[in-house]
Amino acid sequence: MYGGGYIYDPEKKDQANIVEDPEKLAQFEAKIDSGEKIEPSDWMPFEYRRQLIRMIEQHAHSEIIGALPEGTWITRAPGFKRKMALIAKVQDEIGHGQLLYAAAETLGKPREQMLNDLMSGKSKYSNVFNYPAKTWADVTVIGFLIDAGAIINQLANSKGSYAPYCRALKRICAEESFHLKQGYEGFVYLATGTPTQRAMLQDAVNRWWPPIMHFFGPADKVSVHTEKLMRWQVKMDTNDNMRNEFLEQYVPKIWELGITVPDPNLRKNSETGRWEYTEPDWEEFFRVINGHGPCNKERLDVRKWVEESGRWVRQALFKTNEMYKMPLA
Amino acid sequence: MSSLDPRINRLDLVKTANAETISQHQHWETYEVFVQAKRGGHHTHVGSLHAADHDMALIFAKEQFARRGQCHNLWVVKTSDVFALDTEDADMFAENNEKKYRNPGGFKVSDKITAYKKSRKQDQTDNND
Amino acid sequence: MNTDAIKELIYKMGDDALILGHRNSEWTGIAPTLEEDISFSSIAQDQIGHALALYTILHESLGEPNPDMIGFARKEAAFKCSHLAELPGGEYDFSLIRHFLFDHAEMLRYRALAESSYKPLAQLAGKIIGELKYHILHANTWVRQLGNSTEEAKARLQSSLNVLMPYALGMFEPGPFEQTLEQEGVFIGEAALQTQWLVSIEAVIGQTALQMPDIKTLTPVFGGRYGYHTEYLNPLLDEMTEVFRIDESAEW
Repeated sequence: MYGGGYIYDPEKKDQANIVEDPEKLAQFEAKIDSGEKIEPSDWMPFEYRRQLIRMIEQHAHSEIIGALPEGTWITRAPGFKRKMALIAKVQDEIGHGQLLYAAAETLGKPREQMLNDLMSGKSKYSNVFNYPAKTWADVTVIGFLIDAGAIINQLANSKGSYAPYCRALKRICAEESFHLKQGYEGFVYLATGTPTQRAMLQDAVNRWWPPIMHFFGPADKVSVHTEKLMRWQVKMDTNDNMRNEFLEQYVPKIWELGITVPDPNLRKNSETGRWEYTEPDWEEFFRVINGHGPCNKERLDVRKWVEESGRWVRQALFKTNEMYKMPLA
Repeated sequence: MSSLDPRINRLDLVKTANAETISQHQHWETYEVFVQAKRGGHHTHVGSLHAADHDMALIFAKEQFARRGQCHNLWVVKTSDVFALDTEDADMFAENNEKKYRNPGGFKVSDKITAYKKSRKQDQTDNND
Repeated sequence: MNTDAIKELIYKMGDDALILGHRNSEWTGIAPTLEEDISFSSIAQDQIGHALALYTILHESLGEPNPDMIGFARKEAAFKCSHLAELPGGEYDFSLIRHFLFDHAEMLRYRALAESSYKPLAQLAGKIIGELKYHILHANTWVRQLGNSTEEAKARLQSSLNVLMPYALGMFEPGPFEQTLEQEGVFIGEAALQTQWLVSIEAVIGQTALQMPDIKTLTPVFGGRYGYHTEYLNPLLDEMTEVFRIDESAEW
């Protein structure tokens, strides 16, 4: 699972003026233009490295924080099949975090530093995980719709230019498509189940719709820093395009089950071929990403607990004479 | 604070709310992982992980890199024990025209044979005249 | 064959696997490192999978309700799990030592069952011994490493070992059909299993700085096999079945 097109970047302005060697930069860009991938030991512009670290790191954080809302129902999943599948799914999210931290590490930032930046709030994760999973139906909505959004984003990113990220995403996408099936199945079981189950599902869709619309990040007209990142194939598509693709693929699947979406303006414009919707509340989006969502504190407190309560384990096997070495690929 | 997650409610979050900074290597060293999908095949690099030593790296690698799909065997190697050439030097591997003798394409005889057959035919024709 | 005896054996094994698998799954997402999170989660999933496989034998071969009803619709007194499985997960040393003590017994139990005259159990054993091999490798690696490391780690492991040992001995509480099972070649019996288990865990503890508790001075914690449980089982069942109970006849 992952967190959309928004790359939180408070330092952007400070470092925009670094001058790169024009010859190396030209070679680098030619490599990307010809469709070649960039490997960790290749020369790369400072800004490329910085943005990739930021992006992959936030993706990694989104995986391990994303494990928490669904984890809310691990001990309560109904029946063997759902119980085992949910544990396995949350396990996969942690696995994705592991792969992504390793991919980010190849760029030179150790996992420890990334976790520190997560705990201090310096580095963000997908906003969607700052919302609570109130009922079992939330698990199916997350598994179906958030994972669907994640796949759209990640499939695009897997065609990007940085090889270790692409390699990680290849495996992640395969696992996400399986999650999507799993989530969709749970969703359909509720939608076609008892009136109680349907009501539970409708309530969950209603609550999750605004965060889902936020998921791909702010509208293109207000979103900054896209052009260079797209040229370098760090960011592969615009927020609005990805949002549109999500609506195109999944709204019909929701509607066909008789579940409604809480936006009276949601419709496909048959002339433009694009979806129209009520503009999401971007103030709310920024309020939540800056720490004021319903679950921000709990999510970070849990990660702090993980680091603190696991400290003795890591300390016990800690060797003081080690030298830091980046993972290779 | 009361969480919707009963598991979280059982943790003492207050005690750990002020987590200390994690120092370098707290998460141990990195190991590179190689999976042999089938008996008889190559071990292929699939990623890296953090572990305290090779025994732990193996038990971690088994679940992170082989919990789905086929795996016959695993290797782990400490990242610092892997030596690599610089990717900037990839031109070392460039195909060199003068080294045709290293490839099957460097040994073509069909032209010779055709020419030989042709000349024999010519000889025979000449003799018959 | 005496089906009551076989049912009794399978129920207690299945209940141990479900309840401990449930406890261990609580770590998924919050374990000490990402890599261990994944490994320990797999072990939890395996255990819940073993419960499902055992309940499936009960259902398909012995006329009991379907696995979901066995796992999610019984009352506390019908459960035959040991108290060891019921205890809350505690800190990581506690969960780890419990996993070590439990999975060594599981491995030996299934190795014995691989020879069982009751074919469904023998077949199941053949299928899952590979998984248990990993559980043992995982448990032994951690116990050896932490058991030879810092004072804090050694003290934590030792204290968990001391607390858990009487509960671990409770795994071998004799059931009402020990003799029948042995005579019919279904299972070697709890007493024989305990003897093998002690050798097995002592071999690993002996490679660490930890002290094996003197089991002659300990009173095993019995009762679980007869439906008497700790104060922790009922809340666990309430939690586990919270959604399932909304409508037991619904498909989730």
